[in-house]
Amino acid sequence: MRRLVTLLLVLWAGVAQASEWSIDHANSRLGFEATQSGARFSGEFQRFEATMRFDPAALDEALFDVTVDVTSFDSNSQDRDSTVAGKDWFWFKRFPEARFVTERFEALGDERYQATGMLTIKGVGRSIELPFRWIIDGNTATMRGDVTLTRTAFNVGEGEWSDGSTVGLQVDVQVRLNLTRVSAGG
Amino acid sequence: MQIRNTRQRWGAAAQLLHWSIAAAVLVMLGLGWWAESLGYSKLKVDLFWVHKSLGMLVLAAMTLRLLWRLTNPAPALPGGLKAWERGAAHVTHYGLYVLLLAMPLSGWVINSAANFPLSVFGWFEVPAIVGPDDDLKSLASDVHGVLAWTIVGVLVLHVAAALKHHFVLRDDVLRRMLPGVRLRGSDGEI
Repeated sequence: MRRLVTLLLVLWAGVAQASEWSIDHANSRLGFEATQSGARFSGEFQRFEATMRFDPAALDEALFDVTVDVTSFDSNSQDRDSTVAGKDWFWFKRFPEARFVTERFEALGDERYQATGMLTIKGVGRSIELPFRWIIDGNTATMRGDVTLTRTAFNVGEGEWSDGSTVGLQVDVQVRLNLTRVSAGG
Repeated sequence: MQIRNTRQRWGAAAQLLHWSIAAAVLVMLGLGWWAESLGYSKLKVDLFWVHKSLGMLVLAAMTLRLLWRLTNPAPALPGGLKAWERGAAHVTHYGLYVLLLAMPLSGWVINSAANFPLSVFGWFEVPAIVGPDDDLKSLASDVHGVLAWTIVGVLVLHVAAALKHHFVLRDDVLRRMLPGVRLRGSDGEI
């Protein structure tokens, strides 16, 4: 029993190398920008939850596990926001959540990193790379990442919408987070 | 044919504006009703895009036309009209100016209130004139619809009057808005 407890503690110490962070939602944003009839529009997902484990010194232990409430799509346009709920777009009823789970991290230098992970939207999982900046200031941090997704890779905008002439295929996703350290790790 | 209006006829600038706006208005009415009749589809969105783009051009052309009209005296109405006929002519003409400015403006309000971006034919973007507002959007939509029918009504009067002048009264009212057509001169051409 004693040995088991010791083993668990050792294992715990191992996984807890990287700090755990909590997102300050009031000052964070999961935004997006896309094209509609030749012009840009923007919006954000109002609700998302994440486990954020990150320490520049222990990238092997880092993990982002983000669950996005897709139904919180908000582009400040009742027409557009209700349209994307439909089957051709996000199909809220069947796929209310999207998820991003990282698999590995690499340092790019100058507080820049790249996370590779599985992004699942509308039931379609794809491996994506998310380059980001993570700047730590004591017990707070800011994360800023940008990735351009091709919406049709996730079946968002099916049928006649899969031709990008009316609604562009490229969607720029903007991650802007303010975080507070919850546990110092170790 | 000269650019500016004369006492007898409309100049080239006024004619060009009149007929290009006339053609655009017919296309706009058709596009608007067609798009409105469709269920949610790519075609509907694309038709509305052309409708909105052309509408912004109509607004620009109407603004230009109003300025041109204010700085260029219009040819005189033919003699021999009864007072009510002169009144009706003025009301329909001024009415058309007001309607054809109010129509694209109300459309611009709808699009802005819906928080849709607008790139005119993909050439350039126009800003929103009001912020996102669902109530304003439905109000502007209602106004836009009423204006459409009002325009149809006034246009019927306008065209009927032009044809009456041309075929019944046989004066120059229609001819002086046509390029390269000789005036009959019944109205005292110099």
